[in-house]
Parts: sequence; C-alpha cells; structure tokens
Amino acid sequence: MNCMNNPAVRRYLWRFLATMLLYIAFLVLAVWIFVHYHPAGPLAWLLAFLPALGIIAQIAAFGMYLSEEKDEFMRNLQIQALLWGIGATLSVTVTWGFLESFVHLRHMDLILVYPLYCVLSGLALGIQQMRYR
Amino acid sequence: MNNRLRVLRAERAWSQADLAERLEVSRQSVNAIETGKYDPSLPLAFRLARLFDTTIEAIFTDEK
Amino acid sequence: MERKIKDSALSRYKKRMFILVVVLALLSQLVFWEFIRHHPTGVLAYLLAVLPALPFIGIMATYALYIAELRDELVRTVVKTSLLWSIVATLSATTLWGFLELLANAPHLQPLLVLPIFGIFLGIATALVNRRYE
Repeated sequence: MNCMNNPAVRRYLWRFLATMLLYIAFLVLAVWIFVHYHPAGPLAWLLAFLPALGIIAQIAAFGMYLSEEKDEFMRNLQIQALLWGIGATLSVTVTWGFLESFVHLRHMDLILVYPLYCVLSGLALGIQQMRYR
Repeated sequence: MNNRLRVLRAERAWSQADLAERLEVSRQSVNAIETGKYDPSLPLAFRLARLFDTTIEAIFTDEK
Repeated sequence: MERKIKDSALSRYKKRMFILVVVLALLSQLVFWEFIRHHPTGVLAYLLAVLPALPFIGIMATYALYIAELRDELVRTVVKTSLLWSIVATLSATTLWGFLELLANAPHLQPLLVLPIFGIFLGIATALVNRRYE
C-alpha cells in the first residue's frame, strides 16, 4: 500500500504541511497580539479570523486532494470515511450539547470540532482500509 | 459485478499489483473490482477493456 | 423537474421513517423536560441527559441508510457532493466561531446547534448542486 507513489497524495502532504505551518504561525500571532494588546471590537474579530483561515486552508488542501485523486476506488473510500466522520462528529456534538444543558458539563470549545472530525474520519478510513485490503 | 478479470490476468501472468500499475490505480482497487465489491466507472471499464484488448461485455457480466 | 421523482418505494419509506424519527425526537424532548423538573442526579442524570441524543443519532442513521440504498447514480452523486460541501461549510463556520469565542468574546454557541447548522448548509448545498445538474 505505497501511498507515496501517488502524486496526488504527495502533493496533498506538502500542502498539508504548508497549511499546518500557516495555521500555527497565525495562531501564535493572534494569541500574542491578544495577550499583549487586548484588542476589542472589529479588530478582535479580524484577529480571530487569522487562525480560522489556516484551518480553512487545510480543509481546502484536502478538497484539492480529493479532486486530484485519479484512483476512483480510493476516492470513494476517502469520501465514505469523510461521511462516517461527520456522522460520528455530529453524534458527539449532539450528545455533548445535551450533557451541557442538563448536567452542566463544561462548555465544548467549538474549535475542537475540526480536530475531532479529523480523528474520527481517520479512524473510519482505517477501518475501511482494513475491510478492503 | 461478476467478471473474468482473474482469468484474464492469469493468461498474462499478471499479479494484481501488475494490473494496478498498468491501470494507474491502487492494488486495492483492482482487488475490489475483481472480487465484485466495487463496480468501476465507465471510463475505468473502458481502460480495462483496452488493456486486455477486448470489450467491456467480454470482461463484465451483470448476470447473477 | 425530473429529479423530484425519487428512486423507489424504498426511499419513500426512508423519508417516512425520517419524519417518524423527527417526531420521536421532539416527543422525547417533551418527556425529558417533564422529567427534569424532578431533578435526578449522578449516573442516572447522565444517562437521562444522553437519551434525547439518541433520536438525533437515529435521524442521521436513517439518512445514512437512505444513501446506502440509493440506486440512482445521479441522485447519489448529488447527495454526496452536497454532504461534502456541507461538511466544509460547517467545519469552517464552527472553527471560525470557536476562535471568535476565544479571542473576540463572541457569545457561546451551543454544540447542540451544530447539527441544525449542518442541516441548513446541507439544504443550501443540495439546492445549489441540483441547479448545477439541471
């Protein structure tokens, strides 16, 4: 299962690295400005956009991979994993939401949704790979 | 979908990996198509047929 | 519009089941609200709190079954494309709002709202994708 032979995968890995670095850089910058200057109002909103942009770029990188993947079977496997991922993630948010409302579980940080989704989709992909070995 | 891919492969002494390389897909894809777990798209079916120098109907049958 | 004619009786059945499950979800909410007036605690409270989540998970499962049993390739393509775009929109929106909460003091968004937000995006995406295939 040598994924590195696949040019679409290689390109994605580079893009993932780049967008991840971008995200970290933006995050560090935003937090630093927030801590030192305590901006408010529209400036604060602009600040919050920065790391979010990094994440959106990461999502876009994966979208590009999906459209560039020539192997239709692998693309289908990935899409299936993505769909299972959203089902699982939404189940978690709904459950956490009810726990928050009724037993006052701590607030779910919304920024957790994306990493949670990545983990669950990754798991789903792993299971799919095993089924179709 | 039922198919004769295994037979056609054997005639040329190609492994699944060999066929995958020629088709520019992964070995898993070839395995999934061969075992009927995945039906290829029309373009991919045509590429298979060209590769084996035959028609799509000669490879795939939709009989149960 | 040809595409309004869905696959088969099977998908009609799924739609009915979908409606049933939605009704069940609303019903169980009411039941739960009643219960909460008696203030249960401990493990029982946690279990009760999770109960209303189950119909919602059921709704998603019903939708998943619908996709799995779809025969019409075009409808399946439209559904999958719409879902993917909804995922992109929802993930982007929640991440953005998450950072707004942390850095710009935005009001806290209930995680319960993520599912309906996803649903709204799905509706919009489906309409747009359908238009593309007209």
